[in-house]
Amino acid sequence: MDPGTVSAIAAPASGPGLVRDLRLVARQLRYEQLAFWRNRTGALFTVGFSVIFLLLLSASGANQRSNVIGNLKIVQYYTPGFAAYGVMSACYNNLGIVLVVRRETGLLKRLRLSPIPTWVLFGAILASNAVIALVQVALLLLIGRFAFGVVLPDQWAALLLALLVGVVCFSALGVAISTVVPSQDSAGPIISLSFFVLLFLSGLWFPLKAGSSLAKISNYFPVHHLIVAFFAPFESKLGASPWAWGDLGTVAIWGAIATIIAVRRFAWEPRRH
Amino acid sequence: MAEPGATAVSVQGLRKRYGDLEAVRGVSFQVARGEVFGLLGPNGAGKTTAVEILEGFRGRDAGEVRVLGYDPASRPRALRERIGIVLQECAVEPYLTVREVLRRNASYYPAPRPVAEVAELVGLAAMADVKVAKLSGGQQRRLDVGLGIIGRPELIFLDEPTTGFDPTARRGAWDLVRSLSDGGATIILTTHYMDEAEALADRVAVIARGQIVAEGPPSSLGGRDVSEAKLRFRLPEDCSSTSLPVPVHEVGDLLEVATTDEVEVLHLLTGWSLAEGVPLLGLSVERLTLEDVYLRLTAGGDAGGTVGAPGALADGVPAGRSAERWTPAP
Ligand SMILES: Nc1ncnc2c1ncn2[C@@H]1O[C@H](COP(=O)(O)OP(=O)(O)O)[C@@H](O)[C@H]1O
Ligand SMILES: [Mg+2]
Repeated sequence: MDPGTVSAIAAPASGPGLVRDLRLVARQLRYEQLAFWRNRTGALFTVGFSVIFLLLLSASGANQRSNVIGNLKIVQYYTPGFAAYGVMSACYNNLGIVLVVRRETGLLKRLRLSPIPTWVLFGAILASNAVIALVQVALLLLIGRFAFGVVLPDQWAALLLALLVGVVCFSALGVAISTVVPSQDSAGPIISLSFFVLLFLSGLWFPLKAGSSLAKISNYFPVHHLIVAFFAPFESKLGASPWAWGDLGTVAIWGAIATIIAVRRFAWEPRRH
Repeated sequence: MAEPGATAVSVQGLRKRYGDLEAVRGVSFQVARGEVFGLLGPNGAGKTTAVEILEGFRGRDAGEVRVLGYDPASRPRALRERIGIVLQECAVEPYLTVREVLRRNASYYPAPRPVAEVAELVGLAAMADVKVAKLSGGQQRRLDVGLGIIGRPELIFLDEPTTGFDPTARRGAWDLVRSLSDGGATIILTTHYMDEAEALADRVAVIARGQIVAEGPPSSLGGRDVSEAKLRFRLPEDCSSTSLPVPVHEVGDLLEVATTDEVEVLHLLTGWSLAEGVPLLGLSVERLTLEDVYLRLTAGGDAGGTVGAPGALADGVPAGRSAERWTPAP
C-alpha cells in the first residue's frame, strides 16, 4: 500500500489538533461576524426589523391586555415573540440567503478547496448565528424591560434552551432551504416569502386563538412552536411551566428533518443553468 | 511524508462523466516535482474537470490519481494544506478587507506566508484595508491568486490564470508564475492560449474533447521540431516551374515545397536559381507554429464526439499532409 494513503487517513483531530481546530472555529467566527454586521441589509432585516416592530406594535398598544394570552399586556407577548423572530431571521432567512449567495458566487467552492475542515466552517456559522441571536434577545429584553416594563423571566435556563434549540434547528432549516433555491435571484423571494407566510400563520403579529383553523395549520410548522417556547419562560409567573417541552420537541423534529435534507442535498458549487 | 520521489502528480486512465457527457475520457500524464505543466485545450475540452479532480473537489469515475502521494478523492487535509489553487472564476468575500481575507485564509495553513508579503507579491499592499467589494475585477483576481499561494504550496493549480487579462496584467501574471516556479513550486496550469503555454510550461499536454492528443515540451509539440518546413517563393512571370530541381505545388500565387530537410532543398533551389539566373522571389522558410499544431490537434468534432485517432499524429506529421511531403532522395 502507498504510504501516503496511510498517513492521509491516520490523522484524526484530537489533542493538539483539536485545540488548533477549535481556535480555527473562533477565528472563522470572527470573520463570519464581520461579514454579518457589515452586510447592512441582512443585519437590518434581522436585528433592526425586530427592534422596530417591537417598538411600533408595543407603542401602539403597550398597555392593552389580551384575553388570548391570559390577560397579559400585549408587549409581554411581543417581546419574546420578536426575540424568537430574531433567532429565526438570523438562522433561517439570513443564513439561507447568504449560503445561496456564497454558493452561486463560488465562495463555498473556494472554502471546500481550502484546508478548513467542513465541521469547523459549519461550527463557526452556527456559533455566529448564536451570537447574533444572543445580541438580539438581549436588545429586545432591554427595550421591553426599560421602555415598556416587561416582566423578565425567572427561569433564564428555559429561555436559553429555547434559544439554543432555535438556533440549531433553524440554522439547519436555513441550510436545507438554501439547497432548494436554484439561483441568487430567487433566494430572497423564496426564502423570505416562505418565512413571512409562516410568521403570519404562526401568531407573531397577533396571538392565535387556541382551536382556530390558523392555530391548527401553524401547529404543523416549527415557527409557531418556537414562539411559544420563547413565550413560556415569561409566562411562568402565571403558574404555567417555563419549559415548553412539546413545542421544543416539534422544533427539534423539524431540525432533524432539515439536517437530513441539508446533508443530502448540500452543494459546494454554483448550479449550472 | 512518504511519497514517490520526484513525481508530484500522476494520472492514469482518468475518466469523468456528467450525465450523458463524458468530459474526461481516459487521460494519463505525469508531472515531475518543480515542473511547470500546461494543460492546453479549447473551451469545453475537460481541463477544469481534470484539474478539479486532482484538487479533490470532484470525484472521478475511473482511473488512478496520485497528488503528492495522496489520492485526492478523500480530500485529505494534509494534501489540501500543501496545494494552492486559483480557480477559473475568482470569488472573495465582499464584506472583508484584503488584509482580513488574507489573514483568515492564512489561519487555515500550518506555515503560511506572512500576509504583508503576499499582499506585496500580488501588488495589493496599498489596498490592504480596502473592502473586497471595492476592488476592481483585476484586483480581485490578484487577491484570489494571493489566496492561492498564502499557504506556501508545494503544488499550485492555476486554471486559466490570465483569461480576460489585458496584455500588461498577463505579463505580470507570467512573471509571478515564473517566480513561484523559481521558488521551487510545481505548477499545473490550464490555458487555451498557445503563447501562454509556450512562455510558461516546461511540458504541455494538449487536451481536446476529453482526451490528450499530444504531449511534450512546447518546442517539439506534435513533432513540431521534426515536421516538415514549408519553402515558398514566386518565379518571374515568364518562367515555368517545370524546370525546377524539386517538385512544387501552387498555393495561391506562390509555389511551395514541403520538406523535412530544408537545408538540402534550399541548396538545390538556390543552386538552380544562380545557375539559371532565375530569381526566387520572396523566398521564405516556415516551420509549424505551436498555433498550427494546436489548431490541427484540436480541430474537428463536437464536444463529446469522436476524436481523430491520436496515432495519426504520432510520427509528428499532421494527418492529410503526407501526400505533399517530399524528401530528397539520398
Ligand atoms: N458540473 C458540470 N456538470 C455538467 N457538465 C459539466 C460540468 N462541468 C463541466 N461540464 C461539461 O464538461 C465539459 C468539460 O468542461 P470543462 O472541464 O469545464 O472544460 P474546460 O475547462 O476545458 O473548458 C464541457 O462540455 C462542460 O459543459
Ligand atoms: Mg475551464
